[in-house]
Amino acid sequence: MSGDLERRYRRVLRLLPGWYRQLWEEDMVAAFLDGWLTGDPEADEYISKAARPEWAEVASVAGLAGRLYLGGAGAPRRYFAWGQAIRRAVLTVMLVHATLALDVLVRTAWNRRLFGLPAPPASLMTASPGGAWPAVYYVVNIAWVVVFAALVLGHYRAARVLAALAIVPGLVALLQAQLTGIMPAPFGSWAFWVLLNLVPVAAMTAFHRDAPPAAPWPWLLALPANYLLVVVPLLVLQATGNSAWLPDFPGLCCLLVAVACLAHAPRAWSRQADGPGVWALTLTLLAAVAGAYRITTLSGYLHDPHLIKVSLAELLILAAAAALVTPDAARAQAATPAPPPHRRTMAA
Amino acid sequence: MTGQAFFVLTALADGPRHGYGIVGEVEELSRGRVRLKIGGLYGVLDRLAAEGLIEPDREEAHDGRLRRYYRLTRDGRGALAEEAELRAATARVVQTRLRLAGPEAAG
Repeated sequence: MSGDLERRYRRVLRLLPGWYRQLWEEDMVAAFLDGWLTGDPEADEYISKAARPEWAEVASVAGLAGRLYLGGAGAPRRYFAWGQAIRRAVLTVMLVHATLALDVLVRTAWNRRLFGLPAPPASLMTASPGGAWPAVYYVVNIAWVVVFAALVLGHYRAARVLAALAIVPGLVALLQAQLTGIMPAPFGSWAFWVLLNLVPVAAMTAFHRDAPPAAPWPWLLALPANYLLVVVPLLVLQATGNSAWLPDFPGLCCLLVAVACLAHAPRAWSRQADGPGVWALTLTLLAAVAGAYRITTLSGYLHDPHLIKVSLAELLILAAAAALVTPDAARAQAATPAPPPHRRTMAA
Repeated sequence: MTGQAFFVLTALADGPRHGYGIVGEVEELSRGRVRLKIGGLYGVLDRLAAEGLIEPDREEAHDGRLRRYYRLTRDGRGALAEEAELRAATARVVQTRLRLAGPEAAG
């Protein structure tokens, strides 16, 4: 009697992970059909043939599926590992944005000799044009620092909303550059916008209510540490006129992820890493993003065989370093999904 | 505690209910403002069960299907009472302030 409608709803439920369907599918189907069927055989036959799950119903199942696949506390280990890896990868990308923002703010303060700072060396002097775009650019940079802090401190919704707003000016600037040929502010390329703005902001859905909070202090301290260990040496090299051999930003991303993979490799190989290869999976995801960023920006170097060679070398280094942690990342995949304690109770 | 979780716990306060029974009760309690979709309902039930606030009660056959009933646990009852007290206290503060501000403040 409920055949067609039931079949349609079960098809929607296929969005959910298998282990969840095993526990809840029959219950969900019964609850769904209770909402439609009247008990009158003729009416129910008509409803079954004509009715379809509403979009809001499908969206609610899709939302539940997203939360389960990007698992929080209590999810089977495989989904929890993926959820944690995506959350850490997003936090790392936000850390990069916050560090870049700090760099922009420090350079601006130095250029304008704020706080009694001496004049910067000529190689660090930049023109500071007026107008609305530079102001928007500074606001966006400050927003990235706030997004990073909000994510670390567990204000997920605020972080998601602010991040979604922060990527809009970059998109507008890129579209304007596409039409006029002039980039109104240094928001980066399309590759930067898609891989380091759009993708991580979309991946922020992994920060749902069940996501365990990040350890705030290590992440918050990572911002000044990242600035001191990565940006300050770059500033010194630029200030002393030794920046010619420095990699470009995609290259720097590849090398930094490679260094992180090398640093993690001994732990991954000794199997002392936390959880079932969560950091290894995080680094593999970051390597994929950095690699894609490097590859998509290669087209700008087609005129210079030397730069192509350097870029390919960066990719090779990244791939070799990522290969050291990938087996440990695979452990996250192979981990046996184990029902969390509360589900055993519910299923009993 | 989210609004949805509060309404689901309230729906179970006077006895066990099955999935769609909870949906209907929540809609009635909220005067139609909260209409739970099934995916949303099971997200909430899942979370409340994980926190030990609800547990399965029994299963009953209906039209050839098994309906699973849920009930509040002792912790769930306590959490609901605490939340209700908090919300009532907040409502009292709001009403007092509105009364003190007088009707002209609304304009």
